[in-house]
Parts: sequence; C-alpha cells; structure tokens
Amino acid sequence: MTQDISSLMDGELEAHEAGRVVQACCASEEQKRTWYVYHVIGDSIRGQALRRAEMPDRILAALSGEPTVLAPRRRVMEASFTRIALAAAASVATVGVVGWLGVQGGQLRTEPAIARVTAPAAGAATNVAANVPSGVPVAGTMAVSSNQPVLNVQDYLTVHRQMPSPEFYRQVSNQAPATAR
Amino acid sequence: MSAPDSPAWCRWLPALALGAACTAAAAPPGNDPLEWLQRAAQAARSASYSGTYAHSNGDRTSVIRITHVTVGKDEQERIEPLDGPPHEIVRHNDDMFCYFPDAKTVRLDRRVSARFFPAIFSAPASTVAANYVPSLGKTENVIGYDCQWIQLQPKDALRYPQSVCSEMNTGLVIRSKTFNAQRQVIEQYTFTDLRIGQAVPKNEVKSTFEARVKRWFTDTRPRDESKGVATGWAVNDPPAGFQKVTELHRTMPGRPAPVSQLVFSDGVASISVFVEANSAPPRTAEASSEDGTTTFFVHPMGDMLVSVLGEVPLATAQQVARSVARRP
Repeated sequence: MTQDISSLMDGELEAHEAGRVVQACCASEEQKRTWYVYHVIGDSIRGQALRRAEMPDRILAALSGEPTVLAPRRRVMEASFTRIALAAAASVATVGVVGWLGVQGGQLRTEPAIARVTAPAAGAATNVAANVPSGVPVAGTMAVSSNQPVLNVQDYLTVHRQMPSPEFYRQVSNQAPATAR
Repeated sequence: MSAPDSPAWCRWLPALALGAACTAAAAPPGNDPLEWLQRAAQAARSASYSGTYAHSNGDRTSVIRITHVTVGKDEQERIEPLDGPPHEIVRHNDDMFCYFPDAKTVRLDRRVSARFFPAIFSAPASTVAANYVPSLGKTENVIGYDCQWIQLQPKDALRYPQSVCSEMNTGLVIRSKTFNAQRQVIEQYTFTDLRIGQAVPKNEVKSTFEARVKRWFTDTRPRDESKGVATGWAVNDPPAGFQKVTELHRTMPGRPAPVSQLVFSDGVASISVFVEANSAPPRTAEASSEDGTTTFFVHPMGDMLVSVLGEVPLATAQQVARSVARRP
C-alpha cells in the first residue's frame, strides 16, 4: 500500500488504479499517515512549510525513518503533484484541503526576496509624492554596495507583527532580566 | 495627527461597537458589498471559531492554529504557530500574553500593529471603503462552507488589491488573497480546517502551556512600551488614507537605546516607521527588500536611520520614509 501511495503521488498509476488507491489510502490511520507524510516530504523538497500539522510529532518520527525515499523523484513529483493532489483532495474528504496550497503555489512568487540598494535620489521623491506612484522602483537598483550593512528585516518584522519568535524573545530577555511572577 | 495617548483608532471604536449591535449572524446581506464587508469585519470579532490556517507571504509559509470565542463583549483568542519551537499567544481583547515554554517566559504586550487572520480589517468598513472599492465576486465552496468573495480594489496605487472569501451564514473570512499590480497573488491566508459557532469549547482559548511550567518569568516591558509616548518624530507626507494609529518606543535586540516606532493604517494595510541612531558602520545609501506583501525600505538621514516596513508597495514605503522629520 505504501508503494501504491507513493506511485499515486508520482502520477505513475493508471486511472482505475489511482481511483482504487485514493479510496483505499484513507481506510486506516496508518495509511492516512503515510499519505500525509509523503505530502509533507513533497512540501519540504520544494521548500514549502507544512500544510497542516495535525500530527507534528508523528510526522517528524516518520520523516526521520524515511529520509531519502522520495528525494530522487523530485522531478516527477513536481510535474504531477498538483494534478494528483487536486484529484485526490476532491475524492477524500479527510484530506480535503491538502492540495490547496500546492494548487495555489503556481500563483505565488517563489523567487527569493529581492534586496536593492539605491543611491539617495532627490528626484525620486517627487515620483511618489503624487497619489499615483510609479510601479517600478527607482532605476539602477540591484547594485548592492559591499560596504553597506546587511538589511535585517526580521527584527522590524517581528516588532511590526508583534509576533516574536522564541529566538527573538531570548535575545530581548537577555538584555533586561524579566521579573519572576 | 493625534496625540499618542489618544490614538486614531479610538475614534473608530464607537463605530465598531455600533457594528456589533447591528450585525446578526442570520441571513446573508443582499448585493451591497459594504454590508458584506461590515459583516466580515464583525464576524472575526464576534463569532466563535476554531481551526487551523495556512499563511503564505512571499517566501514565508506558516501554519497557525487559532481558537476564538466571544464572552459577552470580550474577545478571547488563542493563537499557536505550529512551526518552530512551541509558543502561543493568548489574547484578551487587545491584551496579548505570549507564552514561551522553553524560555519559561510569558511576554505581555498590547495589540498595536499586529493583525491576526481572520481579523484582517483594523477599521470599520466605511474606513476601508474610503480607500478601496468593494465589490462582490463569485461564490464558492471552501472546505465545506459556502462563501462569497468580496473584492477590494484600491482607489490608487498606494496599496494592494485584496479579496476575501466570507462565509455565507456568519460572514467569517475563510480565505484571503492579496495581489500585486500584475494581479499575481503575493500573500494568502486560508483555513484548512474550521469549526464555527456553538461547537467551539470555551476552554480552548486558555493557554495550553501555562500549566507545564511551574515558575514563569514575566516580561512586562513590551506592554509598558505599548502605552505609547511622543517620539518627537512625524511623517509629514503620509500616503492618502493612512492614519496614524499610535507612536511608541520599542526595545529591539542589539540596540543600545529603544527605537521609535510610528504605526499607520488604512484599515487593511499597516505601516510601521522606525527611527533609530544610524550606528556604526553608518548606512549611507537607501536600500529596500520586498517579499510577498512585506516591503522594507531603509532611508539614512545623517546620524539617524529611518526604516519603513508595511504591507504596501515599495513606492508607498518610500514616500513615508522620505517625509520623516523631527516634529517641530
């Protein structure tokens, strides 16, 4: 069954076989878990975070037991994953939303964050002073000068969102001792 | 500009309360997009719901569990990010208690610039409608709920278009997308499982970590800082529709002194302006980064450094940063 689920996700099964596996794959907790773990593996291969972490401890345990099974198939999975995930999600109510992010992924920007450094341009300010800014930032970007400190967006993002990560919190708490309650 | 001790959103509160009184979670409104918008904003506060949502913003994806109940007029909410080391935020109205069991620390704060899905509107629908044109899109079944898409088309290029999918019976936003000028999705939230209504147990909004640690350390500084202070800084040319919410000092790691923060909002998007010493080695050139809706722009001003972060296009962040000046 495990092999069948793997094959299903890789798009290697005929239509009637795929239907049978979709039906069968959620018949037991064990197979549901397999199905789910394989999706998580697919996600992590593509650099996405977990879609839905109902059973994180089990996932981690299962992941550590199966580190390399799907890795060589990356190319196949990327080609067929969305279609299969969509079809399966429609069929299997318990994993009804699994395919969603995968489907939407095509619309998401996946390139890494762009960092630009621009020379201070007096003229540029008039560009955006009007209510209709130019869509394109100042020309002559991408030239990152080496003597400039690296942009640290995370500190500001954390303050803006008011959602400190535990690592951030430890940094802050080290500066001033917290009071015992 | 309002004084820091009477932030602009105080003026919105009566309208919010009125919204609560007028909204009933019964039949969906007709074809008026503004009514749909009002209902969606209200449902995030007044409905009880429990579920898990995924949030993708540019390169970042996170999965968050949320439970929200309303007892009388009080909102209670528990938010647990499921990635990384365990932690959670328990929220009572605007009071936030962030539990970090590994550090045995609970961090107290008040909601200032934070926005937690599905409560994505920080102002009444009328304020949102002053900056965006709402319209009704298609209806769709999302994770078992029928919902109505509400589109928000910005009236200018200073903000991003957005669409929210509002559940028919309650109005709760189940899914939301933010687009760039090319209509590509750059940020989205979606519930992956959701219960709405009476089935949500009230004890699910309590901290799950509190009982696990015998002796918590309490950091009250973030809450003290959130009370606000006159920073001495002003944005002389704020983008149209953005009102100042508050200004305060924030302690940030690696800084010898607190950083000034001014918060602006147009009812959907928010902008934080940070002003601090341009410490060694000083930054001499402007710099920016964009990831999803998160835009970051740094503008050196001699011995001071202005950094703007918000869910706005780069040109908007530039306009804000370049008009920062000392308040006369």
